[in-house]
Amino acid sequence: MPYRTLAKFVGIFAIVALTGCGQTEPPAFRLDMVKVTENEISPKHQQAIADILGAMFGTPDAPFAMPETGLDERKLKMAAGPVWSNEAGDKHGLYRRHCAHCHGISGDGQGPTAAILNPYPRDYRRGLFKFKGTFTAAQPTDEDLRRIILNGVLATAMPAFALLPPDEVDALVEYVKYLSMRGQMETALENYVFDEGLEPDAPLDPATDAELKDIIVNDLLAGVMEGWNTVVEQVVVPTEEGIPPTDRSAEEITASVNAGRELFFGAKANCVKCHGPTGLGDGQQDNYDDWSAVTVKFEDDTRALADEIKGLKQDLKKKTGDERAAAEKELKTKVAQLAVRNELIAHMLTPRRAIPRNLRDGTYRGGRRDIDLFWRVFAGIPGMGMPATGPSAPGGQGTLTEQEMWQIVDYIQSLPFEPISEPQVRRVNVRTVN
Amino acid sequence: MNPDFTHPASPWPHRWAIALACATFPLLWVGGLVTTTDSGMAVPDWPSTYGYNLFLYPWTTWLTGPWDLFVEHGHRLLGAMVGMMTIVLLALLWRRDDRRWMRWLGGAALALVIFQGVLGGMRVRFDERTLAMLHGCTGPLFFAVTVAMVVFTSRCWWLRESSAVPPSAGYIRRLALVTCILVYLQIVVGAVLRHVPVAAEPGAFVLAVRFHLFLAAAVTLHVALLAWFVLSHARTIKPLGGLAIILAGLVAVQLALGAGTWIVKFSVPAWVSDWISTGSVAVQDGGWLQTHIITAHVAAGSLLLATSLALALFGQRLLPFASAARDAVSRRWEAAV
Ligand code: HEC
Ligand code: HEC
Repeated sequence: MPYRTLAKFVGIFAIVALTGCGQTEPPAFRLDMVKVTENEISPKHQQAIADILGAMFGTPDAPFAMPETGLDERKLKMAAGPVWSNEAGDKHGLYRRHCAHCHGISGDGQGPTAAILNPYPRDYRRGLFKFKGTFTAAQPTDEDLRRIILNGVLATAMPAFALLPPDEVDALVEYVKYLSMRGQMETALENYVFDEGLEPDAPLDPATDAELKDIIVNDLLAGVMEGWNTVVEQVVVPTEEGIPPTDRSAEEITASVNAGRELFFGAKANCVKCHGPTGLGDGQQDNYDDWSAVTVKFEDDTRALADEIKGLKQDLKKKTGDERAAAEKELKTKVAQLAVRNELIAHMLTPRRAIPRNLRDGTYRGGRRDIDLFWRVFAGIPGMGMPATGPSAPGGQGTLTEQEMWQIVDYIQSLPFEPISEPQVRRVNVRTVN
Repeated sequence: MNPDFTHPASPWPHRWAIALACATFPLLWVGGLVTTTDSGMAVPDWPSTYGYNLFLYPWTTWLTGPWDLFVEHGHRLLGAMVGMMTIVLLALLWRRDDRRWMRWLGGAALALVIFQGVLGGMRVRFDERTLAMLHGCTGPLFFAVTVAMVVFTSRCWWLRESSAVPPSAGYIRRLALVTCILVYLQIVVGAVLRHVPVAAEPGAFVLAVRFHLFLAAAVTLHVALLAWFVLSHARTIKPLGGLAIILAGLVAVQLALGAGTWIVKFSVPAWVSDWISTGSVAVQDGGWLQTHIITAHVAAGSLLLATSLALALFGQRLLPFASAARDAVSRRWEAAV
């Protein structure tokens, strides 16, 4: 008898374990609910947008590359889907194996571990990247993305994937671009619905609406792709004459460092505004980074909506008859909106400020080569408020010459070794500059 | 007299139980390695390996093939070996140990290891992370059972010299039990952290991390108290003193490994690097240090469970309940805690 009881116990436990959890749904792409809510996109249109994106880009398990995107579907298939590998050692599901727990299935930077990290993992959906060798507003090149994936981002949670074979890194580069394009396309669609002022239940189906299809492909998608297709023209290549020679004498270097210091604290470059009179990063610290700014705006709008509801409730008392019924109806929709917003806010990542770097630490997240620092000075750090000192597009006019930028690079590299008291003498200048 | 108190007829069940526990620990380590390296799906079929019978899979392919295949197939082989060793232990107990409950415990261990094997198989067959998590929680449980059998068959278990009752005997007994339960709970939360679904909300992970940290503090506190009481009141009762020292040492190692796990996975937290410069290497994904520190953290958790369980069991056995008056000291302590 006890045998049977035992067997039964094990059996029941096993059945509960196996069926109770059941098979979880394959992960799906999530819409950007902040944008959806801001643009007041109806549930019907949310579904329509998800369907359109599904037709254009496929699912996390079965990605699809429209020819217009120029993406390599073979690489995408390698990076997407569940994690598995075969006897020959070909790895699949690379994104879920290595990235998704931080960057999220949709590339929204909201994977499960995101909230405990500082800085947060990148939200790819805006096509906005920090550490790249292109003009400030341009997308990164494949080479930029590959460099970030191989080297990681120092002093953050972004790991270096230097141990992955090159073909896997290529697949991941492709997949990051894919998620970026998909995210930008989603935003474009959400803005389109908003801008067109579509009625909540107006049809939105490119399969039956040739004009809409034309707009989506030739207008919206083309708009997204323009940035990615022109990226080769946007690479910042320093002119030969500007690059400091490798065989400089100590005096030449000192002169360059001094000139760089002058610029760093001067009005034209004004690095001191953020990085502070000591270079410790103790200047302006109250800006939000671009990703957090979206959250902050959403929270502010929500507070405003709550106040508006209070006002409407007050007004309601004075109203009678038809007027009152209309006001009640308006109030009801606003209250519902507020509930949706508050629910969203409860799940959003807490906004973070763009804290300028302590340049005395000598830790450079975007890379420590001369060219990396040159790129930072030339194009700034997008998303973090750090301005470009070079032109914003090829052929434009920047605030500094390349020679001046190299001098600043020299100064930055000498900063960790400079006595901390020295720059403080210049505090007076700093104040007048600001 | 209770037949439990007779001397064991044969040393073999004890020796074999030790061998089993010693084989189970590496199995847990490699199991942890499967998760750390995400090798679970390196062999998509089960119970076969790429169509071969588990034991007939060409060993040259196994040894020279991809790393994740090596880890996963190795884990299966080790698991099968531990399963067979459990069968032998059951046979030994049946023939050489006249305690009925002990035989049943041997049977339960076999059932558990079979269940664990099936769980692992189902995790692969359905590619289901929830099952992986369950599999990761049952492993330490089986290890605990093997260690319990080592305890029950040991000489110390039989040599129950009735020394003077230490003043805090009752307290130690209870504290040891609570510690053991807390450690297991901590292992479960750890498994949740490791197997969090990719589509989970960040908020859920934060909650689990907080709980894991809270339990770490709770376990540390309990172990510190336990070690303090054992060492000051029951040091001479073998093997309590030794176990308490090992337990305290393990907690220290485990805390360091936990901090290390965070650092090799997520880098040094910003609030720390504000104070001390944190060097110039990025987190190396899949690097040697990352892989082994994280896996060691998982394995050390099981070791902590085993040690605290051994201490709890020996405590129950070797420390008779103290008189109410003598226990008052410890009761005051308990109230304070
Ligand atoms: C442990 C968490 C974590 C994992 C895993 C991770 N990342 Fe990141 N990633 C981050 C964080 C945090 C940042 C933001 C760094 C910053 O803002 O300075 C980031 C930033 C990035 C960036 C943007 C860099 C830039 O210039 O703006 C890219 C691209 C990226 N990650 C790709 C990947 C890919 C591809 C993978 C998987 C192979 C991956 N990451 C895995 C945490 C992670
Ligand atoms: C509006 C504020 C602001 C100004 C002005 C500013 N920075 Fe920054 N800087 C930042 C912030 C914020 C960061 C941190 C970026 C991050 O953590 O992602 C940063 C980071 C840096 C870094 C570190 C890059 C890396 O790879 O880690 C360097 C170098 C730097 N700034 C140099 C400069 C120089 C030179 C100037 C003047 C030409 C300047 N900054 C002007 C805000 C500013």
